[in-house]
Amino acid sequence: MAFTAKSGKFSASINSVEVGCGDKKIVLGGENVLPFYTFDAPVENAPKVGVEITDSGLENEPECVKKYYEGCETVADMAKRAASFEGVDFLSFRMDGGDPNGANKSTEELIAMLKEIVAAVDLPLVVCGCKHAEKDAELLAKAAEAVDGKNALILAAKEENYKQVGAAAGLAYKQVVGAESAVDINLAKQLNVLLTQLGVDGKSIVMNVGSAAAGYGFEYAVSTMDRVKAAALAQGDVTLQMPIITPVASEAWGVKEAMASEADMPEWGDQEERGIDMEVETAAAVLASGSDAVILKHPVSIKTISTMIKELM
Amino acid sequence: MAKFVTIGERLSTTAPAVNKAFMERDPEPILKRAKQQLDAGAVYLDVNIGPAEGYGPDLMKWAVQLLQGEFDNVPLALDTSNKEAIEAGISVYNRSKGKPIVNSADAAGRIENIDLAAANDAIVIALCNGEGIAKDNDERMGYCQLLLERGLEHGMEAEDLWFDPLFLVVKGMQDKQMEILECIKMFADMGLNSTGGLSNNSNGMPKTIRPIMDSALVAMAMMQGLTSAIVNPNDLRLMETIKSCDVFKGNTLYADSYLEL
Repeated sequence: MAFTAKSGKFSASINSVEVGCGDKKIVLGGENVLPFYTFDAPVENAPKVGVEITDSGLENEPECVKKYYEGCETVADMAKRAASFEGVDFLSFRMDGGDPNGANKSTEELIAMLKEIVAAVDLPLVVCGCKHAEKDAELLAKAAEAVDGKNALILAAKEENYKQVGAAAGLAYKQVVGAESAVDINLAKQLNVLLTQLGVDGKSIVMNVGSAAAGYGFEYAVSTMDRVKAAALAQGDVTLQMPIITPVASEAWGVKEAMASEADMPEWGDQEERGIDMEVETAAAVLASGSDAVILKHPVSIKTISTMIKELM
Repeated sequence: MAKFVTIGERLSTTAPAVNKAFMERDPEPILKRAKQQLDAGAVYLDVNIGPAEGYGPDLMKWAVQLLQGEFDNVPLALDTSNKEAIEAGISVYNRSKGKPIVNSADAAGRIENIDLAAANDAIVIALCNGEGIAKDNDERMGYCQLLLERGLEHGMEAEDLWFDPLFLVVKGMQDKQMEILECIKMFADMGLNSTGGLSNNSNGMPKTIRPIMDSALVAMAMMQGLTSAIVNPNDLRLMETIKSCDVFKGNTLYADSYLEL
């Protein structure tokens, strides 16, 4: 008897969420199959790749990344340069400096920078906070206002500040709301429920369910994504059918494999190569586990991952 | 595993107010009860129009169109001994939210309802009962085989036959209760779906007791593998129990707000 392949497509699907506006807008999600299972059903929207810059400009960037921004004087210059890298679908601006335990930059200063970026590029924008929940409540609310009309993704509302961030980003300015939980599948679901109960449209939510560099508790991140997709697709759980975005750069470039200099670790070889490897491996693995978008930093990683996605689609 | 399927039982001619509304084709009381059940989390709604001799087809069509029109093509169980009425209901049924359920076939006089379901690509509730109440599980499983084979012969998928062990009333048949639960386990071991009028167990008990008995039984039955039940979804305790059991069984993912979903 002839073998008849059974399609593994699901009757449920991940929400399609538009980010950005105009010609360059992107759509995250929409799939009704497991990641890259294009043989089961067509995947209309390929996973997307973003480039990350931060409010500290080049100051905290690794040497190997700095060289790609040679001649840039402001973050707006950097944004323009970043937008020109091959394979970039969107731009991510992370306002690390707002952290009261760090540089503690004022909200006004950071928002002024954000506005310069908005004026400089027409790519879809992802605006990330400083990871301090209380500061982010104010910072991201102001950011949502500053990118009014841009349909940006505000990353992210957390359990501690979802009301403020959700109300400003989702209700007042109709941006796309990021929902962030840290490798906790039950909280990932709960946060989506709370945001929708607040009045945020479930179809305008994108999740960050947590990330880690490969080798650093990474299996928890991956199993969380696997289980989110299983619930969303196999069980048709509408509270988990939001696409997933994973910030990779901030994790991958913070571990010793990427940071240790060649002088300190001669046996590990070229530092730039190591950093790119960490970033590429982490990004490839989260995409294979169900991320609909990744945020990267090094132009070689971006090009590599974007090529990988094209080849697999 | 899929989520437990609750079939709301409150649209039944056994309730005088519903019967009157059906007779007078008065939408308001019907829609009100339907909404209460859906708001409480019912997946399917049972539409029990009784035997409805003569006027059954008209009434069932009216009810199907009324409910599906008002509630986004809510899936329905068409509950009547009147075959023409079921066929008429299916002829106007929109299956975008789920196949219609034929309620029900048995191993005696209503076995042809299996054929009717097969011909209409419907789900059928297959009551494992012949004439009178089955004396033991050997008899029940014999009916189960008979009904299953009849469905398969007519081209049905096994998953579209939902086997009903016939829940029995505790007051009078307390000694049969474990047998029913064991029967559900046998269905589950065969990979079959199952359902039934679960609240029958608490018939005749004080109103305050019924939710407690129904909740306990549904938890035990879900442990045995029951995949659906015809229940009163406005029984909060029962619905909370079902949602909690769905979490324990891994049918839904837990979140702190799971009872609100």
